[in-house]
Amino acid sequence: MKKRKLRGIESLKSKYGYMFVSIWVIGFVLFFATPLIQSVIYSLSDVVIGGETSFAGIKHFKMLLTEDPDYTKNLSASLSSILYSLPLILVVSLVLALMLNQEFRGRLFFRAIYFLPVIIATGVVLKYISGYGSTTDKVSESVTDNMFQVTDIMNVLNLPAGIAEYVQTIISNIFSLLWQSGIQIVLFISGLQSIPSSLYEASRVEGASKWEDFWFITFPSLSRVTLLVAIFTMIDQFTSSTSPIIETAYSKMQTGIYDVSSAMLWFYFLIVIAVMGVFLILYNRMLMRRWG
Amino acid sequence: MTDVIKKFKCFYQDHSAKAKMGATRRFTRSKWGNAICCLFIIAAGLFTMLPLIYAVATSFKPLDEILLFPPKIFFVRRPSLENYAAIPTLLSDQNVTLSRYIFNSVFITFITTLVHIIISAMAAFGLSKSKFKWRNALFMIVQFALLFNAYTLSVPQYIIFSKIGVIDTYWAYILPQLATTLGVFLIKQYIEGYVPDAYIEAATIDGASYFGIFFRIILPLIKPVLLTLLLFSFRDVWAMIPQGTIFSENIKTLPMVMSQIASGGIARSGSAMAVTVIMMIPPVIVYLISQSNVMDSMSSAGIKE
Repeated sequence: MKKRKLRGIESLKSKYGYMFVSIWVIGFVLFFATPLIQSVIYSLSDVVIGGETSFAGIKHFKMLLTEDPDYTKNLSASLSSILYSLPLILVVSLVLALMLNQEFRGRLFFRAIYFLPVIIATGVVLKYISGYGSTTDKVSESVTDNMFQVTDIMNVLNLPAGIAEYVQTIISNIFSLLWQSGIQIVLFISGLQSIPSSLYEASRVEGASKWEDFWFITFPSLSRVTLLVAIFTMIDQFTSSTSPIIETAYSKMQTGIYDVSSAMLWFYFLIVIAVMGVFLILYNRMLMRRWG
Repeated sequence: MTDVIKKFKCFYQDHSAKAKMGATRRFTRSKWGNAICCLFIIAAGLFTMLPLIYAVATSFKPLDEILLFPPKIFFVRRPSLENYAAIPTLLSDQNVTLSRYIFNSVFITFITTLVHIIISAMAAFGLSKSKFKWRNALFMIVQFALLFNAYTLSVPQYIIFSKIGVIDTYWAYILPQLATTLGVFLIKQYIEGYVPDAYIEAATIDGASYFGIFFRIILPLIKPVLLTLLLFSFRDVWAMIPQGTIFSENIKTLPMVMSQIASGGIARSGSAMAVTVIMMIPPVIVYLISQSNVMDSMSSAGIKE
C-alpha cells in the first residue's frame, strides 16, 4: 500500500518534470538542434542556392586542409591564442580578485568598474568602441603604443624574436584581456569568500606569513574555482566572434557559400570539443582526488 | 609522491622555525605594500575604463575636434550636445522616428528576457527536482550546447524562420533566444545548490500543485540567479543585431540604427558615439539593480559539474 503510493508520487513528479521541461525542449529542438544538424548536413554536401543539395562526403574538409592556404593558418591562430590569453586572464583576474577582496573604502565601486565591460561590451558597442568599423584609430592600440613604446624596450633588452613577439601581442591585447576578465574576477572573488576564515586564523597562530597563507591555503582552496574559470575562459575565447576562423566562415556564409563555411566551423568545433573534453576529464579527476 | 610530501614538510618546518626565531616579526603588510596595491587597482581600473571615457568624450566633441590632428583622445575643449541633437535629423530620411527605435528595443528586450527567464527556470526546475528518465541526457546536451557559437546556426535558423513565416516580424528577435542554454545551466546549478528537496516535499504534503510550488516557492528562492540571468539576457538581447531576418525600418532596433549611422563615415562618428553612449545606459541600470546577486549565483555555477 505504502509502496504503491510512493510510486504514485514519483510518477507524478516525473510527469510534471516532463511538463516543465517540454516548452524549453520544443524551442531547443526547433531553433538549436535542427539548425545544428542541418549545418552538419551542409558541411557534408554540395549546396547550390536555389538548387539541389547533393551528398559530397568529406570533400570540403579535405579541400580545406590540403588546398585552402588560409584555413590551417586561421585554425592555428584561433586555437593558439588561448595559449597566451588563458594564463594571462587567469593571473590577471586572480590578482585583481585578491585585491578587490580586501577591506578598503570604495571596494564595491572598483568591483563595479571591473565588471562594467561585461555588461556593456557586447556586439555593436564593443565593435564600435574598440575601433572596428570606425574611422578613428583603434583606441587601445594607440594608447598602449604611446604609453609603452614596446618595440623600443624590446630592442634595448635584445630578447629573442619569439619572446619579443609574444610580449608584444600581450601588450597590444591588454585592453581586451582586461575587458574579458570581468566574470572571471567575480568567480574568483566568490571563491575567495567561500574559504573559511578559521583556516587563516589557525595559520596566523602558527606564525605563517601572508605569502605562505596564499600558497598553502588560498591557492589550494581555489583549485576548483580556478578550473571553472579556466573552462569558462576557454569557452568564451573559442566561441568569440572575433576568432579568425569564425570571422572568415561567417563572411563566407554571407556570400552564400554555406557548405564550405559549415565545414570550416565544424572542423574547428570538433577540435574545440576534443580540447574541452580532455580538460573536463582532468577536472573530474581532480574532483575524484579531492573527494575520494 | 612521498618525496614531494617530505620536501613540503622540510619547507614547512624550516619556515615555522624561522617564524619562531623572529617572534617579534609582525605579519601585516607594510604601508608601502598597501600603497602599491591601491595604485595597481586604480591604474588597472582606469585602464579598463579608458574606452568608455573615450566614447563619452567623443560623443561630446564638436566635429572640428574629432577631426583634430594629432587627435586628443580624452580631452574635450568645447563640450557640446550637437552630436546628440543631430541624431533625429540623421534619421529623418528613414520615415521612422528615434522614439520608435527606442520603443522597439525596449519592447523586444523586455519580452524576450522575460520569456527566456521563465522558460529557462521551468526547464531547470524540471531538470533538477524531477527524476524523469531523460534528465541526465538532457543536461549533457545543455552543457554540450554551451560550446557552440550562434553563427554556426544562423543560416539553418534563417531557413526555419522563413518556413514558419516569422521573417521580418518581432518573432525573429525573440525565437533565437529560446535556443540558448546558458540560463538553464545556471539556474539548474543554483537550484541544486540552494533549494533543498525538503521544501518541495513539505509543500506537496500541504497540497500545493507543482505549478504552485514553482511559482510560490521556487521562483522566490532563486531570485538571485534570476536577476543574474536578467543581466546577461538583457545585455545580449539589447545589443543583438539579427542576421538578415529583419528588413522593415519600423521594427528595427537601436543597435541596427547605430551601425547604420556609424557606416556614414567620419562626419557621423560623433553621433555614432552619442548613440553608443545612449545604448550603454540601460544595461548599466539593470546592473545596478541586480549587482549584489550576481556574485552569489555565479559562484553556484561551480557547485556541481
